[in-house]
Amino acid sequence: MPSRRRTLLKVIILGDSGVGKTSLMNQYVNKKFSNQYKATIGADFLTKEVQFEDRLFTLQIWDTAGQERFQSLGVAFYRGADCCVLVYDVNSMKSFDNLNNWREEFLIQASPSDPDNFPFVVLGNKIDVDGGNSRVVSEKKARAWCASKGNIPYFETSAKEGINVEEAFQCIAKNALKSGEEEEIYLPDTIDVGNSSQPRSSGCEC
Amino acid sequence: MWGAPAEPADSYYEVRPECTDVPKTRFKIKPGKTLSARKWQAAFTPEGQLDIGKTLSRIHRGGIHPSIRGEVWEFLLGCYEPKSTFDEREEIRQRRRLQYSAWKEECHQIFPVVGSGKFITAPVVTEDGQPIQDPLVLQETNSGISASSSKMVKELLSHGPLDKKVIQWMLTLHQIGLDVIRTDRTLVFYEKQENLSKLWDILAVYAWVDRDVGYCQGMSDLCSPMIILLENEADAFWCFERLMRRLRGNFRCTESSVGVETQLSNLASITQVIDPKLHQHLERNKKLCFIVHRDTGRR
Repeated sequence: MPSRRRTLLKVIILGDSGVGKTSLMNQYVNKKFSNQYKATIGADFLTKEVQFEDRLFTLQIWDTAGQERFQSLGVAFYRGADCCVLVYDVNSMKSFDNLNNWREEFLIQASPSDPDNFPFVVLGNKIDVDGGNSRVVSEKKARAWCASKGNIPYFETSAKEGINVEEAFQCIAKNALKSGEEEEIYLPDTIDVGNSSQPRSSGCEC
Repeated sequence: MWGAPAEPADSYYEVRPECTDVPKTRFKIKPGKTLSARKWQAAFTPEGQLDIGKTLSRIHRGGIHPSIRGEVWEFLLGCYEPKSTFDEREEIRQRRRLQYSAWKEECHQIFPVVGSGKFITAPVVTEDGQPIQDPLVLQETNSGISASSSKMVKELLSHGPLDKKVIQWMLTLHQIGLDVIRTDRTLVFYEKQENLSKLWDILAVYAWVDRDVGYCQGMSDLCSPMIILLENEADAFWCFERLMRRLRGNFRCTESSVGVETQLSNLASITQVIDPKLHQHLERNKKLCFIVHRDTGRR
């Protein structure tokens, strides 16, 4: 029997507001950093083609809003995820302390079939800030937490400088691929809403 | 003037030179069509009553000249009745400015960073109202202000444990700061620290006054144009407050949903009728709806 073909890998990025989730995603997908990202409202996603052992996959990366009040939308976003990326800012203790909440919230809302083995990856971002002088969460502390949660892979990144971002996402993609989640994923056909045959209104001029 | 070429409006909202990928505005100032300062002034009677019908149809055809946009928006947002007189409006304006500064003073009394020209981007209290002494607070906030911000919280605590509504409000302050530093940052306007803290102050005061909504991500984007268009901070606040009367439902949250979800389900019902194929597509990808919402909002 041929192995089940999986073409779409869904990845969710979670973490406190302002830790750099949008920047990490854009650094990985578009290879650029900008100081001008707006706060993410609700959620957003980007896709990237990745190749593994001669097979092409589409990595669908979901970027989420950090503000707690958007968590109620989680169910819709989290469902069917193949890997969950937890991001904190190495310069903010609070954002590290909250990793636990983000992880638990994800497991409750996504309810994966095998929660103990669901793949997470932790990223400690903003290692470039102030040459590391403003850092408050040590690598040791972060690794200890990851070890205590079933050896979660850990990377220290800088979305701004592009440090470790590629490596981290390769690990993320690999773990998503290994993920045992067998839920049917519907890969949407594209509907072009921008190019309709109806005449476009010129819009409001105020 | 007639037949003069349309002038792009970009120069009125100057973009920082290093931001090269900012889309140009499609709005153009069209002589004879766009509501000009002269036409605007001519739309008032000597007492100050505005011919809103004629003005609206001009705005609809050609937009508003950037030089008068702030004062026109005050009418469009409903801050003032078109049939009011100059004198009546002046009285209302003064009264509102006083009200705003009274609220701002209340906030300043609780947390003196409000109104100080500075703002915070890291949390200052825990969920149970204890001061946070994370060294980060010292680092990340502007010009060493939070060196004293944990002192401010302690000072406040010396009068007894914090009220629940005070804690609730203080928990939003760093979130406002985190969003202020990434709102319309492509504009030269926000290179000025005082404009950043103006945005922070207005949102902080609003969160204090409208406790059901408080602060929700997305509100900084709505408030920003008001600050750019209206020089007086209180006037900008009241424009924002008027806008929020229409939109606050989107930001209100219950345990299980964000307000905007109601709108999305209405949108889904409409789509089901007018474009079943699109509706079916969105239903199978429920989450896409949220993106659609923000993108359509931008246009």
